[in-house]
Amino acid sequence: MKSTVESRQPTVRRSGAAVAALFVFTALAPSSARIAGEVDAKGLFDAIAREKGKVVLVNFWATWCVPCREEFPDLSRLQKAYESRGLRVIGVSTDFARETAAVEKFLAEQKPSFPNYRKTSGGDDQLFIDAVEKSWGGELPFSVLYGRDGKKAGTLSGKHSYADYETEIRKLLKT
Amino acid sequence: MKLRRLALFAAGAFVLVQTALAGGPQIGAKAPDFKLTTVDGKTFSLAEQAKSHKAVVVMFIATKCPYSNAYNDRMRDMAAAYAAKGVVFAGINSNKTEPADEVVDHAKKHGLAFPLMKDPDNKVADLYDARHTPEIFVVDPDGKLRYHGRIDENYENPSKVENPDLKNALDAMLAGKEIAKAETKAFGCTIKRV
Repeated sequence: MKSTVESRQPTVRRSGAAVAALFVFTALAPSSARIAGEVDAKGLFDAIAREKGKVVLVNFWATWCVPCREEFPDLSRLQKAYESRGLRVIGVSTDFARETAAVEKFLAEQKPSFPNYRKTSGGDDQLFIDAVEKSWGGELPFSVLYGRDGKKAGTLSGKHSYADYETEIRKLLKT
Repeated sequence: MKLRRLALFAAGAFVLVQTALAGGPQIGAKAPDFKLTTVDGKTFSLAEQAKSHKAVVVMFIATKCPYSNAYNDRMRDMAAAYAAKGVVFAGINSNKTEPADEVVDHAKKHGLAFPLMKDPDNKVADLYDARHTPEIFVVDPDGKLRYHGRIDENYENPSKVENPDLKNALDAMLAGKEIAKAETKAFGCTIKRV
């Protein structure tokens, strides 16, 4: 079956100077400062499966979601602090396709230490929400934790502090 | 392990506690009664409204949430259209970050003429386990929950809605029929609780 994770290089029209600046910026920026690709539920599960052996925290966010933006830097800090012990944070933007520029701008500003996908636009979001987690009502931010065995280990609804995430991650890293 | 929203502050410690997967009322069960004061000073009693209407549409909404705001016109138009059919719409703002005067200004700006109320300490949101905006609960004259979820599936473009779930639910109720899809979901903004 064709992979549902697709890398995407947005096409933009800019002035010569802007193109040159963008080239320099792109060359210097870490790859996680761009959208890693578009995923549907299967594509996301494939991305999680590729991290088997690690504790995975999947965080669903959107640029228009203030609490999502507020907790985002903490997720970067967590990735850096616990990467050597086997943590992999994966971000998923639920912004619509027309908001791609806002997503790219946000990631360029944040320079996250983890990859961020964009949920494929179109279709009924309920199918995606239910596939990820039946108890999820659709609220953002929302996070799902997976253990080293790749099995779902917990969910966190809404915005949480660095300490909240750290507590749950450390429990799973011990197993 | 299933972690959920309930967070308790104690001596600086932040404890996450699991709540039931669906902590609010189930479809067909009695909807928790509540009384709130509307922004124009009237008492809104769910039980009394249910008795005097064919349906009560309780909507958890917000002033700043883009998803909720995308539905302002649809909420306004549906409330007007269904008022003639004996259905009352009501908006509840449970966000601690959005004060009553902001709710009033927002309603004036968007022509929201249905009862609007603040939910102090998000007690009603907790009763219903309402998590985000917009989130809809429809109660029948017996006080039972008949529908829970979204207005429709397309926040972005009202002209391309394929699943007008709230409308379908109300039409089924008014026709005395079973609601085909009584639980639906969509993305929304987390309710900013105390």
